Formats: sequence, C-alpha cells, structure tokens
Amino acid sequence: MRPGHSSSTPFWLTFPAVALMFLILILPIIIAAILSFTDYSLGNVGAEWVAFENYERMLTRRTYIKMIIATVTYVGVVVPASLILGLCAALLINSLKFGQAIYKTIYFLPVMAALLAMAIVWEFALHPTIGIVNEILEDGCTVPWVKFLLSFEFLPWTDPSASWFATGCSEGFPLWLGDRDYAIWTICFIGIWQGFGFNMVLYLAGLTSVPRELYHAAQVDGAKSAWDRFWLVTWPMLGPTNVFVVTITSIRSFQVFDTVEALTQGGPSKTTFVMMFAIYEKAIKENQIGLGAAITIVFLVLVLLMTLFQRQFVEKKVHYS
Amino acid sequence: MTHIFDIKETLKHAVLIVAAIIVILPFYVMSSYSLKSPSEIEANRGGFIGAQQLMEDDKCTAIKGDVEECYFRPVVYNYTMAFKKAPLLRYLLNGVFVTVSIFILQVLIALPCAYALAKLRFWGRELVFTMVLFCLLIPVHAIALPLYIMLAKLGLTNTYAALIIPWTISVFGIFLMRQFFMTVPDDLLDAARMDGMSEFSIIWKVMLPTAIPALMAFAIFSVVAHWNDYFWPRVVITGNRDLFTPPLGLREFKGDADGSAYGPMMATAMIIVAPLIVGFLLAQKRFIEGITLSGMK
Repeated sequence: MRPGHSSSTPFWLTFPAVALMFLILILPIIIAAILSFTDYSLGNVGAEWVAFENYERMLTRRTYIKMIIATVTYVGVVVPASLILGLCAALLINSLKFGQAIYKTIYFLPVMAALLAMAIVWEFALHPTIGIVNEILEDGCTVPWVKFLLSFEFLPWTDPSASWFATGCSEGFPLWLGDRDYAIWTICFIGIWQGFGFNMVLYLAGLTSVPRELYHAAQVDGAKSAWDRFWLVTWPMLGPTNVFVVTITSIRSFQVFDTVEALTQGGPSKTTFVMMFAIYEKAIKENQIGLGAAITIVFLVLVLLMTLFQRQFVEKKVHYS
Repeated sequence: MTHIFDIKETLKHAVLIVAAIIVILPFYVMSSYSLKSPSEIEANRGGFIGAQQLMEDDKCTAIKGDVEECYFRPVVYNYTMAFKKAPLLRYLLNGVFVTVSIFILQVLIALPCAYALAKLRFWGRELVFTMVLFCLLIPVHAIALPLYIMLAKLGLTNTYAALIIPWTISVFGIFLMRQFFMTVPDDLLDAARMDGMSEFSIIWKVMLPTAIPALMAFAIFSVVAHWNDYFWPRVVITGNRDLFTPPLGLREFKGDADGSAYGPMMATAMIIVAPLIVGFLLAQKRFIEGITLSGMK
C-alpha cells in the first residue's frame, strides 16, 4: 500500500460511479427484461405473467413487422450512404490544393445543429406547395439544360419522358414526407445529410495517418492509377477508422427518433415506424409497457450483437497497421 | 506542371460546391424565413432578406385598432414573436441549467473513479474496469423505457432531476479520463503525497489541472449532446411547460403553428441552433475534437 491513502479510499472514489452504473445502466436492462414477459402498465396495481406473448406479437403483427422493415431500411441506407459520402468527401478534400478548410467547416455544420430544429426546417424546404425544393425542381422543368441532365436525355437507351424528373414535371413532384413511397427515403436523406460530415472528419483524421512512403512504394510496385493506389494502400490503412465509423454510425441510426417524431409520427401507413419511435409511442404514450419492454430488449440485443460483431472484426483488422 | 487552369482541381471543386449547396440549403431556408414576412414566405418572394416592408400584426390591430405600434419590420416581428409566443427565454435558461448540471455532475462522478482506475491498486479494480467496458456498450436512449418507469415510480417525472439524473454517469467519461490519467507520471503523484496531500486533493488540485485539454473536449462533447437532445426531454417532460428545454419548446411551437407563425418559428430555430454553430465557427478545432471523441472508444 502506498503512503497517503488508506485502504478505503479507492472504494469511496469508485463507489458513486459504480453505484450509478448499476442503477442507471444495468438495473434498467434487468427491469426491461422482466417486464417484457408481463402485461404491466403504469397505474395498474398488478401485472400478469404473459410469457412470450409480447415477443410473439412483435413477430406476427403487421405493425411490428413494418417497424422492423422501417428500422432495417433506415440503418441499411444511412450507414453505407453516409460512410461512402463521408469517405468521398474526405478523399476529395484531402487532395485539394486550396479551400480544404471551408468545405470541412460547411460539411460539419449539420453535425452541430440540433437535429430536431433542422428536421423542422427540412420539412419547410420539402413542403409540397411553399417548399423551396419542389419550387427549384419545377423551375428546372423550364430550363432546357437542367431538364436535359436530370431526365437523362443524354443516355440514348432511356426514355427521357418516362424518367423520374420528366414525370415530376408533368404530374407534379412528390409530397415527400406525406407520400408513403417517399417518406422513409426522405427521413433517410435527412439522416445522411446530418451524419456524413462526422464521418468525413473521422476519415480525414484517418488519412493523415497513412504514411506517404506507402504511396511511393505502391507506385514503384506498379499501382499506376489513383484508383489502384486507393485499393492497395488507402483502403487497408483505413481499416481501424472504418470500424469506428461503421460502429458509431449504425448505433446512431438505430436510435433515429427526432426526425420521425417531428415530421411523420411513424406514418404514412407505418412506413417510418422505427424502433425508438415505437417504444415511445407504444410504451410511453399508450402505456403498453410490457410490449415496449420487449421492443427495448430486441433493440438492445441487435445493438449489442452489432457492436460485438464489429469488435471481432476490429481484432482481425487493426493488426494490419 | 504549372497549369493556370487545372481541370481536375476544378472538377473536384465543382462536385464539392454542389454538395456544399445541398448541405447549406436548410440553413439558408432557416435564416431567410426568419427574416421574411408571412406573405413573402408563402409566395417565395423577396430573395434572402425580403423587402422588409412594414407589416401589420393582426392580433395587435384587433385589440388596439390601426395604430402605429402595431406595424413591424418582419425581422423584428419574427424575433420578438419568438420570445413572446412562448417563454423561449425560460426554455433557453432551462437548457443551460440542464446541460451545465449534467456536465458538472459527470465530472464530479467520473474523475475520482477514473483516477482510482488509472493510478491506485485495490481489490476489485479489474472488476470495476470490466463493468465500465461493458457499460460502454449500452446506449442510454435505448433503455429509456425502464428508466422512465423507475423515475415515474419515484415520482420524478416532470422535474429537473428527471432531465439530469440519467446522464450523471458517463461511462465514456470514465474511460476517457482513465486513458488520460494513465499518461500522467507517477512521480508527480508521489511528490504530491510527500507534501502530505490527501487523495481527494490530489484529484482536484493535481490531476484536474493536467486534464484540462481532455476535459475541454469532453465538455464540448457533453454540452452539444445534451443541448441538442430531444428524445429524453420528450420522454420525461410530459406536460409542464416550465421545464421545457429548447428543442421541446420548438416542437411545441410547430404543433400550434399556423401559416402566420412560420417566420417566428424559424427565428426560434435560429436562436436554438445559433449558440453551438457560433461556438463551432469560433473554435472549430476544439469542437471537432470534442464531437469526434466518441470515435476514439
């Protein structure tokens, strides 16, 4: 024992943190696990043990199947898209001769801004009648070169009048958040818009750690094009960064809530009914605690599995560098 | 190879500029709408700042008649209405109070634990550290429901405590500070002990000052996360408007908004978003460092 501290000091230093970790992080999981087997609701005295009924409902009712579809779609779109955009932005910015700082600043802005506020602004921008997005698109219909580009008239094998843009011009552009074919993609778009700058910054940091000599070595070895050098040097060297980025982006996208609550409330026809919103609506607003607890447990298992899977992946990849 | 006009470079800039325009679009919409009158917003006229012609406040003229004090420049109208239609100032103060309390409590609880884990040997240290590593895997938002039930059972929903308590333990903070403390030389501690300092005063007088840079980054990380958080306040604050945080206030505004309130609503959004954006523009490096902390796990 070192002089200066009695044997009880470490206990008192760690006790508050340990107690709170247990009460705030671990105990709730146990409570959720138990409640997920009951039909508990706040305000009622007792609760019935219903075994797997809540889980069964989740797997058989249309609403919850839609919930899983919406969540998986969101994660499946936002994670790869914000990853690729973040990486492309980082690579492009990194290769610039001037103006790196300004792009970095701009792309990072959405990360700083309260998502709820920006979601509401996006709703305005995407408003079918007074929104700026549809107005710009409609203006584009009358400008020949915009129409030429956006309706793919330059591709001989397509029919320009059947393209998305031309249809929009003649029949009106979508309602975005109010249209069941577009709502989830619009929510995904806002998620990507918000998150890719964060990934860009992580990739920029990752790129600075790639040693210059490796590129020369690759060139000597015959990797002539920038494309070859990317796959030979940059991509493998970014291994650890990739793992961080995938882990963080997927955990975040699983938790999407603000945009859905403020803009679509899970609709239209449950196409944007993601898990966090389901927990909020079913358990907290409608007081079906047992069911909400079951969704919570499934959610936790999914996030945990993903993290562990990725950790496993890190073990293999990190030793590369 | 000195090209005056470099095609490759120009192309790269073109792509990046198009992306930048899309990224900035909502910020443009937000600031522009917060300046313009309702009719300009609806007809999409007036460019960025609008014509700033005097506009009539219908509610005011209905009470006071057609008097001069009922006419406003749109920008003045929007920003004053942002504070008048809802107690925005109160929401902002709530936001400051909650984020600052959370950060202070996180540091008070995490720092001693991180110090003990990094610099003291004691029975159970491995166990505590394993617990920290395990808890790092748990996203707090995901366990919102059981936390909400626990708080409800304690009668704490609709209180400041409900907004603050679940965030007092930052496992990530413990982990981060432990990693940092590991790099502090033991000699420094031994010298302090020789001087007769207790472990508690070592933490606050020796370790804390050395940890300022790491702590700054953590502060930014914590403040940004909780200032912007909407989910947790939405869950625990159900009716009491006095406890609303800025995002809740804005959401409420959206719920009641009719066509004429677009301008004031965008002004509210500006006011909520501005502090962090301004901070970021002034101290970019620190902010990026802070926000990307979570990437270092």
